[in-house]
Amino acid sequence: MLVTAGGVAGMMVAREYAKRPGELKSLLSAIQMLETEIMYTATPMAEAMERVSTGADQRVAGFFRDAALDLRSTAGRTAGEAWETAMERFYPRCSLSRGDMSILGNLGRALGRSDREDQAKHLRLASEQIRMEIIKSEEEAAKNTKMWNYLGFCGALAAVIILY
Amino acid sequence: MISNKADVIAQDKNWPEVLAVLPLNLRKIITGVRPEILCRVEEIRIRALRPLMLGLDSGDIMLTEGGGLADSILKAYIVGEEEVERCLQLISGSSIYALEEEIRNGFITILGGHRVGLTGKAVLDQGKVKTIKYFSGINIRISREITGSARSLMPRIVDREGGTIHHTMIFSPPRCGKTTVLRDAIRIISDGAPEYGLPGQAVGLVDERSEIAGCYRGIPRRNIGIRTDVLDGCPKAEGMVMLLRSMGPSVIATDEIGRAEDVRALEEVLNAGVRVIFTVHGSSLEELAARPALNYLFRLNMIDRYVLLGRDLKAGLVKGVFDRKSIFENGVAL
Repeated sequence: MLVTAGGVAGMMVAREYAKRPGELKSLLSAIQMLETEIMYTATPMAEAMERVSTGADQRVAGFFRDAALDLRSTAGRTAGEAWETAMERFYPRCSLSRGDMSILGNLGRALGRSDREDQAKHLRLASEQIRMEIIKSEEEAAKNTKMWNYLGFCGALAAVIILY
Repeated sequence: MISNKADVIAQDKNWPEVLAVLPLNLRKIITGVRPEILCRVEEIRIRALRPLMLGLDSGDIMLTEGGGLADSILKAYIVGEEEVERCLQLISGSSIYALEEEIRNGFITILGGHRVGLTGKAVLDQGKVKTIKYFSGINIRISREITGSARSLMPRIVDREGGTIHHTMIFSPPRCGKTTVLRDAIRIISDGAPEYGLPGQAVGLVDERSEIAGCYRGIPRRNIGIRTDVLDGCPKAEGMVMLLRSMGPSVIATDEIGRAEDVRALEEVLNAGVRVIFTVHGSSLEELAARPALNYLFRLNMIDRYVLLGRDLKAGLVKGVFDRKSIFENGVAL
């Protein structure tokens, strides 16, 4: 029984590692959607975020919806602030790392504050960084998934041997 | 004339739209201003590192942190750099990139048709202004919808025999209520005014800067009459010709004619037998005639009424009306 429990625990940890690349990919596609809205249709920020939230993968849609709602309220909030607050709510619910969040944070601080050309630079930089993170996270995931799968099982086995 | 009460009500409707684009601390200061002053505000001036000011009909005032009047600069609330930046973000809905054209022109029109003027550092591209950055000055001009402000004008411009209006040019220096009077005149022409023997006319309005109709997402938010079609955000010259072809208007209205292409388009409209009503910047006929594009318009001699507005007591006051003949006795030289 101990062995099964250890194995399951190991697999759960391994699954957490496997989640991150998926979330990063949906984030990347959402940011590319945002870029299209900003660059080609010059959609106002709140509306652009709303559109992204309806089109994006459900793992990140909530983040954009939160930011859009916050920006639409007439509480005198800027896109950067709305983005930041949405990030705070998003972080505990997602599998992204602190590093990933800081990429998002940097993008948020620049959002909506400059002309199209400049916005494009920031959006592309963020996309590029996320792409790098995807590659890294996939390698890591492959390594860690295997490791945790074994570790859970073997650890439990070791415990059994020591106990008896 | 206009009753004071109607005036105040018209403005009350405006304040929420204006306050929504101000940072919270500026909002708090302005809501602290006494109502009898608030109802006379024409402009809010926000300049980085300088006092927060309100432009009233009688001049400008500085405000203290609590919204009271500051009698010296020492007591005045000084606007921070960060506040100007934040205000600009709120004005644009954090979408500076969506307003490149507007910023190049130096102003943005916000919900409600209020015009926001901007200054800062101009960024040039091959000698032309590409955009503005480091914004330092913001002037929010509160647009007034004063129902009845064109009442004194209407009897002078109605063509009773034709059942329509004469070709009319409204001119005045800035801040005399040209746009306000034009908007009300459009409303009356469009709805019809039996008291002047004027049936309702289909009006085509080219609202290049969204100031007259206050369109938001293309739909007029101000009362411009039931038979008015608006081309929002469209360049005047192009817009007038488009309306002429597409909407079959009896009257075409537009704001601030001045460039040669505007006058050429106007000529086309005049030749098509459609009546026009438009505004021009300028304080005297003499001054207008000195501008080449407008001089050409005087040469055409097709405009029947030249209306000068002033602001002796109140913006929108008709100071003089000239016709095809009397303009030559009043300073127009060709």
